[in-house]
Amino acid sequence: MGNPYRPRVPRKYIGGYRPRIDGYGKASGKVQFADDLTTRRSFPDMLYARVLKSPYPHARIKHMDTTAVEKLPGVRAILTYEDPEVKALKVTNAGWTDGVDILSYDRMMWYPMRDRRVIGDWARWVGDEVGLVVAADSETIAEEALRLAKIDWEVFPFVLDPIEAMKPEAPLVHPELRETNILPEDPVGGPDVFLKKGDVDKGFSEADVVAESQATVHNPNQGSLDNWCCVVEWKDGMLTVWSNSYEAQQTRMHMSQMLELPLSKVRVISSFVGGQFGRNDTGEQPFFLYTALLAKKTGRAVKFRQNNRESFLNSRQPAIYTARAGAKKDGTITSMAFKCIGNAGAYADQTMFALKFGPAEIAEVTLAHIPNVKMEAYGVYTNKLPACMMRGVGNSQFNLSFGQIVDVLAEKLDMDPIDLAIRNFGHEEEELPNKSLVEVLQEGARRIGWENRHKPGQGPVYQHVRKRGMGFSFHPGWHAEWQETRRGKIEVSFRLNPDGTVMLEAPTVETGSGSNTCNFLGCLEALSFLAIRPEDVHYSQVVDTETSLRDCVQTDSSVAYLQSEAMMVAAADLKRKICALAAPKLGVKPDELDIKEGDIFVTASPDKHMAVKALLWETDLGPIISTVSREPLDQMTGIPFIATFAEVEVDTDTGEVDVLKLVVLHDCGTVMHASGAEAQQLGGQVMGLGEALYEEIIYDEARGVPLNFNWIDYKIATMADFPPVEPALMEVWKGGGEYGACGIGESTLTCTPRAVLNAIYNAINVRVDELPVKPEKILKALGKI
Amino acid sequence: MIEKKNASPEMDNSAGEAASRAIRLRVNQVWHEFVLERDIEPTETLAYVLRERLGFTGLKVSCDEGACGACTVIMDGKAVLSCMTLAVEADGHDILTIEGLAEDDPVIVAFAEQCEPGYGTAMQCGYCTPGFVMTAKALLDANPTPTLDEVKEALSGNVCRCGCYTAVAQAVLHASEKISTRGGGAHG
Repeated sequence: MGNPYRPRVPRKYIGGYRPRIDGYGKASGKVQFADDLTTRRSFPDMLYARVLKSPYPHARIKHMDTTAVEKLPGVRAILTYEDPEVKALKVTNAGWTDGVDILSYDRMMWYPMRDRRVIGDWARWVGDEVGLVVAADSETIAEEALRLAKIDWEVFPFVLDPIEAMKPEAPLVHPELRETNILPEDPVGGPDVFLKKGDVDKGFSEADVVAESQATVHNPNQGSLDNWCCVVEWKDGMLTVWSNSYEAQQTRMHMSQMLELPLSKVRVISSFVGGQFGRNDTGEQPFFLYTALLAKKTGRAVKFRQNNRESFLNSRQPAIYTARAGAKKDGTITSMAFKCIGNAGAYADQTMFALKFGPAEIAEVTLAHIPNVKMEAYGVYTNKLPACMMRGVGNSQFNLSFGQIVDVLAEKLDMDPIDLAIRNFGHEEEELPNKSLVEVLQEGARRIGWENRHKPGQGPVYQHVRKRGMGFSFHPGWHAEWQETRRGKIEVSFRLNPDGTVMLEAPTVETGSGSNTCNFLGCLEALSFLAIRPEDVHYSQVVDTETSLRDCVQTDSSVAYLQSEAMMVAAADLKRKICALAAPKLGVKPDELDIKEGDIFVTASPDKHMAVKALLWETDLGPIISTVSREPLDQMTGIPFIATFAEVEVDTDTGEVDVLKLVVLHDCGTVMHASGAEAQQLGGQVMGLGEALYEEIIYDEARGVPLNFNWIDYKIATMADFPPVEPALMEVWKGGGEYGACGIGESTLTCTPRAVLNAIYNAINVRVDELPVKPEKILKALGKI
Repeated sequence: MIEKKNASPEMDNSAGEAASRAIRLRVNQVWHEFVLERDIEPTETLAYVLRERLGFTGLKVSCDEGACGACTVIMDGKAVLSCMTLAVEADGHDILTIEGLAEDDPVIVAFAEQCEPGYGTAMQCGYCTPGFVMTAKALLDANPTPTLDEVKEALSGNVCRCGCYTAVAQAVLHASEKISTRGGGAHG
């Protein structure tokens, strides 16, 4: 058994250890994902689309002969870069939004970076979709058809390394757009030096000690099991799309704007998604468009599904960080500076969001008390797969640098890094020390046994060659409600039937994060005045833009509380409506009534009462509907802290790292569903440890070809690799609203790579600053190879 | 496509060439018959036939090359990757998919209920879950009281990207307890 957390406010439903509401459906295989809803049995007449992928890192189609493609039996339609309906598609990008809001073509966030043509003639990375799509009776036929295209390529020089790509003589990845590979000024995140507070040079000159560090994140892949797919039907001018996109409203907007159809003529249906992890944050993918055009051309439903190899279509944004920090002898930090170069890959999409958003956010809520801060970032085009989001937006990358400079500076000051952190970091809403940070770090220290930590490299040696070490890293938590205001409206609805059952509508596409369970519990909690039982609530988990309220986009884990907060407002409204119906029957005014445990009573004389259920049968018998559409609260409450503590054992002969124990701590404000939250804390470590120790996309640098777009060569941890992990949920900080919670899904792995790397340093007294820390890097650092 | 559902393969002996090219799969105790190159292609995997032709969508095709375990079914009592098995190889064999398990199968129930402090839930997105359930089912059929190490060994061919390994292992141990209490974990 673990250590169950103690809720600050005991509640009947919210916060409990209980099964997921979709647990049985998923365990029994009954839950239907998009691929399950769109089998050949369900759509017997369906065609299958496949798209040509570039074999070259940088090339242009000079000429293509598709005669043999079209002659192949079973091929029903093709589209090429020369077809008018393809040419008519506007130049676009695949990241119109930051993933939470709804944006049109004109208002897309990174409008200066419209760099994608839908099946154009120009390929910019090996795997780029280019030139030709085929709809055929089967995927096999469509694949075969693509091989029959005779293509005359013009092959260009290419560049893979961002530092090389920044040089003036480097081959240009987008010569049609820019005379340099460095991305243009970012309209969202600001100029290259995007944060400047005080005078960093003055701050460094006032410091007694200055530390410097360097940290590099390569390109791990999200690795969702549910390969991205869509089925499109275009009948009688109406476009219907089934997909595992997690943002129904924005998918509708994208297709409507790009295909120039009225929004009312595009219907998007999504239900369960088998893991998202940031992959779908570039939701404006070309495949939605060419699949739709093929459906129009053939008059039949067309399915497009990426295979596992094609699911390597983007990665976590790579980042090369340098950091500098100066402090007085007493540990007071006077100045901090960070510089980052990010490999955008072939398309900009959300690169600048990852390079600036994460760091800017941590500056706002963590570096508020550091007098001098400077941050700069550069995104650079190369001929690699595009970078994107992956369980967080630049926060993991920044933490690898931030947690390192704190560790390095503390050692130079001969201070415990925990003391250094507590002395300096917190948000502006609060005086130092930050209570949340203190409690999180002290709890982590207690659980890992921090008092036994030795100086770097000075611990005992086990089995002649094995050395142990401890490390930690910390970060602000994922979003509180005030950080979610750019979402726009959050919508929920209750329909109370006369028999006392409730139809809950809280549309959000369940990607695994568990927000559907949180919403269900939130509904029970909000309607507890009606004595609602779990079996009384029906919650449709299919999002359909034709019938649903606006979906609360499942980009980030804040969905776990955003709709539950709105339900508190809807519940108050429902209560008022019931009281209004009861008032004439009890001979009082509505505001003289209250409802508890399913009973309406006169507040001043509780013996005058009636059961809600009795009242409901005396109404017009239609459901009583309470719908809420509200902006997230903008009350500035700061954000709590999170941390990961690690103990590792390093084999100095083989370079292998064994993680002995991880402690993962989250101050959540309010825990919405304890079992789900702990599942996130534990589960995130598959990615966190993978990124720290072995997950990496490897390129043949000479040819520009990726070598391991598959799960044999790209290593994902299995049960046999998974170490003991201790989840710790805490409720110290509180945000606005009833629950005042924050998200945790993204942040479960934010600190893991840095905690592990600091622990490795503590074990062997040599730093390895580049992820993943494979055995050869350890041996090299130790001077053994 | 034509399907024939018979009580046993022997009952259908269509004469001629077609019969020689007949593929018979016994899925969840029901026989399904296909004529090769008319109903199914020789290159079709067992996963494809089960999902696309027979509608058993509990198993998932994710990597489609034997690396993730999401397509696991039980063939003749053993867990197999249906994406790595051709339908023709399964001719005449006994296949159990997750749809063939009883509604109250102890493995399903243990996975669904898993929630005790310190372990999390046994799934998040749930895409890999049917594969884990079937692998666990095959393990517990062969070894009803596995140790934690035996569970880890048996289930280490399945990938859960959400990372619910701690809870999955715990759920398998709970399923083992349920089987001991109920006195049997026979196929549904």
